[in-house]
Amino acid sequence: MTYQTFNRNKFDAFSQPMFFGENVNVSRYDQQKYKIFEQLIEKQLSFFWRPEEVDLSNDRRDFAELPEHEKHIFLSNLKYQTLLDSVQGRSPNVALLPIVSIPELETWIETWAFSETIHSRSYTHIIRNVVSNPSAIFEDIINNEYITKRAESVTKYYDDLIEGVSYYQNLGEGTHEINGETVTISLRDLKRKLYLTMASVNVLEAIRFYVSFACSFAFAERTKMEGNAKIIRLIARDEALHLNGTQHMLQIWATGKDDPEMGEIAAECKQEVIDIFKTAAEQEKEWANYLFKDGSMIGLNKDILCQYVEYITNQRLTAIGMEPLFATRQNPLPWINAWLVSDNVQVAPQEAEISSYLVGAIDSEVSLEDFSDISL
Amino acid sequence: MSAATALTMSKSKQSDNDLFELDGDCADPSLEQGDFLLESPQPEGDATPQQTEFFLPDYDAETPENSNQMEFQGLEKPIHAMHVEGHTKPLQFHYAKNLLESLEAQGIQVHYQCREGYCGSCRTDLIEGEVAYLEEPMAWLNDGEILPCCCVPKSAIKLKLKD
Repeated sequence: MTYQTFNRNKFDAFSQPMFFGENVNVSRYDQQKYKIFEQLIEKQLSFFWRPEEVDLSNDRRDFAELPEHEKHIFLSNLKYQTLLDSVQGRSPNVALLPIVSIPELETWIETWAFSETIHSRSYTHIIRNVVSNPSAIFEDIINNEYITKRAESVTKYYDDLIEGVSYYQNLGEGTHEINGETVTISLRDLKRKLYLTMASVNVLEAIRFYVSFACSFAFAERTKMEGNAKIIRLIARDEALHLNGTQHMLQIWATGKDDPEMGEIAAECKQEVIDIFKTAAEQEKEWANYLFKDGSMIGLNKDILCQYVEYITNQRLTAIGMEPLFATRQNPLPWINAWLVSDNVQVAPQEAEISSYLVGAIDSEVSLEDFSDISL
Repeated sequence: MSAATALTMSKSKQSDNDLFELDGDCADPSLEQGDFLLESPQPEGDATPQQTEFFLPDYDAETPENSNQMEFQGLEKPIHAMHVEGHTKPLQFHYAKNLLESLEAQGIQVHYQCREGYCGSCRTDLIEGEVAYLEEPMAWLNDGEILPCCCVPKSAIKLKLKD
């Protein structure tokens, strides 16, 4: 039951479900049960970037010139993003690695969490460049009640799963007396916790992040804080991959082919998942209220951001096979798409960094024409 | 008298004989300034190279069917009729890199984001017909769904957009 760093059991890797099967032993990728995770790893690696590549010297000047209420919007948004990536940089590793059972998924989880740590590092890069006292900003993430309230809803499913799994791995299934409390551990209940955790992670990656991206891009639409937007674009490109990963896990479970019990749980938990989305949408709207409490900015206000919350929630619900919740069908921020395209069209390379530039990529295609100017 | 002062003396003597007179006539009469010049004197050198040719694409823009843009490996040049539910306008897939571009060019708005097959925003129902993928779609697809950003039609097709 206890986690084994190198499982000595002999088993057929293809017969293992994604989670709660045997602990992974050999990290081999020549045979794959779900090749999508290998594709995600490849893609994520090809996206590798570093925050220092983006010059933020103009942003410092832009920020100093922003009116107070826009400074509040910008900084609060940044604090929220920092919170989200602090959670995402560690939680997939802590919560999912002890229970994962196939090597390509294990590596995807590690790659996924690693890229979130780059995001966290880039927030520090931004904050350090924009304000003279970064500590005040970081400390407020712990102190500000609006942010801490959100931290709770983001982390509670993770914490619940981590606690359950640690009891399961130490004590096994059954009823246990722990610190004077009676705790009943069953594998099915843990799988349920896992399913709900993944739904809440999907909400985090697919809705909460995108609402914050909308604010970052709204500044850049007015040619303010453009370095920041350039970083957020790289982050958004990574996030699209991460939510692809969580959508795949949720959908694979829902088919019941990976683990029949998970298929049943997916059907049982449908309403709960919808409620997670609904609650998140409400919280994001409340957050919009806090962001714009002292005034709107050109191009974005509380109402438009709330409409965007509804639009993006509908999109994400339909992507995992659920019915849309809200009446909003049109994207109220059509310009955001231009910022979210992974390979934005540009006329001259010096105008923007080419985001599709692949690190370590080789074009190995050779045609006969390539030899046309060679004679022997 | 020290050696350094002697050097300065001889230098100033030399300049007296040469061009650099602070007052008095300029040694070269052609450099003398007139009232004012309408055009500044051109520096000597090669005349600025003029662009003497236009850089046009190497195919005739009037006949796009002859362009090399439309080559898809292992596929005939796809030209197919398309129908989107809720739109009466006749549509055709023609001269586009992928289905998404073709739809957009004909005024059909499709949700999109990455345009590279991994975000899944453009997920659309394929009701009739067949499509071929130019690259493998990474987003989750249920039966009957396609990703227009990375496919082209292989036959006449009928689509239903997600709302």
